[in-house]
Amino acid sequence: MKKALLSSLGLAACVLCTAPAHAHFMMTYTPETYMQKAENADFRLVFTHPTEAGSVMDMGGVQEFYAMHKRGDNLKKTDMKKYLKDITWANPGSKAPAYAATIPAKEIRSMGDHVFVLIPGYYLEKEEDVYMQQISKLILNVGGAPTSWNEPVGLPTEIVPMIKPYALWTGNIFQGQVLSKGKPVANAEIEVEYMSNMPNMATNTMPKESSVDYKNPSLVTQTIFADENGVFSFGIPKAGWWGFAALGVGPDTEYKGKGLSQDAVIWVQANDIK
Amino acid sequence: MKVLSGLTLAATLLIPSFANAHTPLFSCYDMGDGTIECEGGFSNGSSASGVKVFIKDASGAEIKNAALDENSYITISKPDGAYTVTMDAGEGHAVIVKSEDITE
Repeated sequence: MKKALLSSLGLAACVLCTAPAHAHFMMTYTPETYMQKAENADFRLVFTHPTEAGSVMDMGGVQEFYAMHKRGDNLKKTDMKKYLKDITWANPGSKAPAYAATIPAKEIRSMGDHVFVLIPGYYLEKEEDVYMQQISKLILNVGGAPTSWNEPVGLPTEIVPMIKPYALWTGNIFQGQVLSKGKPVANAEIEVEYMSNMPNMATNTMPKESSVDYKNPSLVTQTIFADENGVFSFGIPKAGWWGFAALGVGPDTEYKGKGLSQDAVIWVQANDIK
Repeated sequence: MKVLSGLTLAATLLIPSFANAHTPLFSCYDMGDGTIECEGGFSNGSSASGVKVFIKDASGAEIKNAALDENSYITISKPDGAYTVTMDAGEGHAVIVKSEDITE
């Protein structure tokens, strides 16, 4: 009996041992990426493992949070950092500082793409003794007019979508190009996660219950690679939110004397055909 | 002969632009200063610059017409009473916005 218990404990420990570290994702979240007419947009900025509502980490503050919008040929940058409020985000078993923002409708009322950019601070991944900085993009469209969704913002590193990230059907192929200082990153490694524990905006939490039964840890975080032009493709199997993080692709590789993984993240939202 | 080839090429180049799906898009906002701002566009990203806009009163009588600017925008004085603003991009491509839907 004792032996059986020990064996099962050993098995449990072993399972934990082999479980891969889930991917860190800078979550730039608002419930809808498309609005027929501009409304106030509620945002949450959280550094977490969105699949399985994992650990929440301190992103080290926000350097910049803004939106780019094109009017004719004029590209306008609107600071959104002024709308940020400190919150604590809590997932089951973990919590950390995060941010909430209500972007007033007047800031996004112009038709077209509003490309939201979050440049967070630095997070020290103690286990590996390296810093992480995930520069994150989310594209919100108002009114259906496409404007600058497929244009680079000019970030140190970014993923430029090649299909509208707010107009995806389930089953579409999402394609993006990974850039570093505006140049394609050949063979970039990209982690992909599904937001299977949807954020609760009222309580600033993610529920324990997942909408997906992950039979294999490799399905929790999928890893794909870009081609020689930095272009990657991913078939979207389920409606909802998908995050793509290109790892260590940014030009900065050091922060405070330690290694730095400067990553590019983009979030897309897929819809079922009903 | 050369002229004909050139014309054929021009015609071929034009064909795809007509084949594009292009739903007209139009929205207006009350700027809160006695003016309304409207912007036009098309779902394929085409510019609506130069497209005619008609402002009509509740009876349908035209108050004013103008064209969208180079950025597909127009700012107009807010008429008294109920009105409509129409972006007329040709047959089957008109969008009408009613004053009650124009908010700040």
